[in-house]
Amino acid sequence: MKDTKTESAASFDVNDYLRQDRMPHFLCPGCGHGIALRALLWAVHEQGIPKDRLAVVSGIGCSGRLSAYIDANTFHTTHGRPLTFATGLKLARPDLHVIVITGDGDCLAIGGNHLIHACRRNLDITCVMLNNEIYGMTGGQVSPMTAEGRFTTTTPEGNTEPNFDACALAAAAGASFVGREVTAQVLALKTLLGQAIAHEGFSFVEVLSDCTEIYGRKNDLGASPEMMLAKKSAMRPYAYRNTVDVPFRPNALRTGVLTRTDRPEYGAAWRAMAARIRNEEH
Amino acid sequence: MDKRNRTTNVLIVGVGGQGVIMVSKVLAQLCQEAGHDVKQSEVHGMAKRGGGVFSHVRFGAKVWSPTIPEGEVDILVALEWAEGLRWIRHLKPETGTFIADCQKIVPPFACRSRKRGAEPAYAPQTPEEIIDQVHAGYVMDATGLAANLGNARAANTVLLGALSTALDFPEEAWAQVIAATVPPKSVQINARAFAEGRAWALGGTKRIDVTASGLQKSRAEVHHPQVETVVEITADWCKGCDICVKSCPERCLRLNDQLKAELALPDLCTGCQLCSWLCPDMAISVTNTPVQEAAS
Repeated sequence: MKDTKTESAASFDVNDYLRQDRMPHFLCPGCGHGIALRALLWAVHEQGIPKDRLAVVSGIGCSGRLSAYIDANTFHTTHGRPLTFATGLKLARPDLHVIVITGDGDCLAIGGNHLIHACRRNLDITCVMLNNEIYGMTGGQVSPMTAEGRFTTTTPEGNTEPNFDACALAAAAGASFVGREVTAQVLALKTLLGQAIAHEGFSFVEVLSDCTEIYGRKNDLGASPEMMLAKKSAMRPYAYRNTVDVPFRPNALRTGVLTRTDRPEYGAAWRAMAARIRNEEH
Repeated sequence: MDKRNRTTNVLIVGVGGQGVIMVSKVLAQLCQEAGHDVKQSEVHGMAKRGGGVFSHVRFGAKVWSPTIPEGEVDILVALEWAEGLRWIRHLKPETGTFIADCQKIVPPFACRSRKRGAEPAYAPQTPEEIIDQVHAGYVMDATGLAANLGNARAANTVLLGALSTALDFPEEAWAQVIAATVPPKSVQINARAFAEGRAWALGGTKRIDVTASGLQKSRAEVHHPQVETVVEITADWCKGCDICVKSCPERCLRLNDQLKAELALPDLCTGCQLCSWLCPDMAISVTNTPVQEAAS
């Protein structure tokens, strides 16, 4: 790592990016979403994006509320549709850096269809999916990311459905940048989010967050520090893929940049078409 | 020194990768060719990780044991300063010869204070103090001499040159064994390094020459400015999730009676900022202000 690391840590003050009158936020004690939010704002700071050029769109759920705390252009939209609103926003205002904050239920259940089509179009949006494996705000119902055998309010006998691999889904649907990281690795998460923001095209980042109060309690996963560190030690950093087959635990998820392809960005093609039609009309 | 009826003991010590084994190989080979009985014993297990390496070389009419008893070492060759000090009590008190490179390799365990700008707890003894304690002593800048010749890695051959003045073997015999031992590409530079070390050691029996890369300046030393750390915790925002308390590497935070995080042991805080990065409530801010150094 370069020396800029300590420099950016010194120059970044999260309070510059927060709506002070809204703080403290509504999240439960130990919720991983707060760490992810801070890392996202740090990445924005590092990318040097001015606050009036930043647009954050969010849906419904614990993750959806995060946009309210960011002192930038924010848009709290309907359930599952933040990517849809963001698509319209980015097409109308290509000068904005559009970041979508969404949750696992918001993005993959209600908004699953919107996600795959957003991936397919490859419009220059950064989608940050905070995966806490549960519908936290509505009382702890099962989500498409809940692992098999886990207990939730709606699966009192344990979940019998397999869960999605969201990154594989996004990559298969055509997202040109896909990454995954845990909240405990703040620097890696910040770097990954920075790369996603800088990427030209649709970038999808899955942040493995923790729901301590409901998911952790129902599944006896310990307090928030234990949950966070257990996730960290279970992960397989992408950089290890060629040297260690099963480094930490079998079937562990890979982290880091998982997919990075060079596909034409949708917005440019759309604007070219719009300009052509406009010229033909006149 | 080379009396046929008694054993001569040479102990060579250093840090992994410096060439301790090469020095002992050259010496053992030379002794064998001169018709002595030679026993050599070494420990180099963790050498690759920068750990300590030592090699005993004993020769004489008949050698019975491969290791040298404490206080029986005739010549101690140290490729690294602190390693030399670690073994100096093995030296024969009355007649022992101490040959050391003033090269300083700071081991990780000497950096126990993780505060920025903290001095590593390295051996504080000065070369003068040590030389006063031994019968004959040479503290040389072998690494600097070798670097001037073009390759700092030839420092061990410079020390071999110094060692050659303390033993009764002809100079040509040394040169031949060195040429046969080192890689073909480096024969020339090793020959020059040997001559340089030998010439330097002939200049006196209690010589100290600490220059360029010496004790005052080491490659391992990088200057970090000392910082003054201020940890601010917004109690109204803190929800007492315990993440900062559990993740602090110095264990200097705790939850108070109201289940709010507080800095319990400010002296231990190194300003690493991990708590502020991991705080989900963004309640902690850590600022490191460089302390203005008065002298410089």
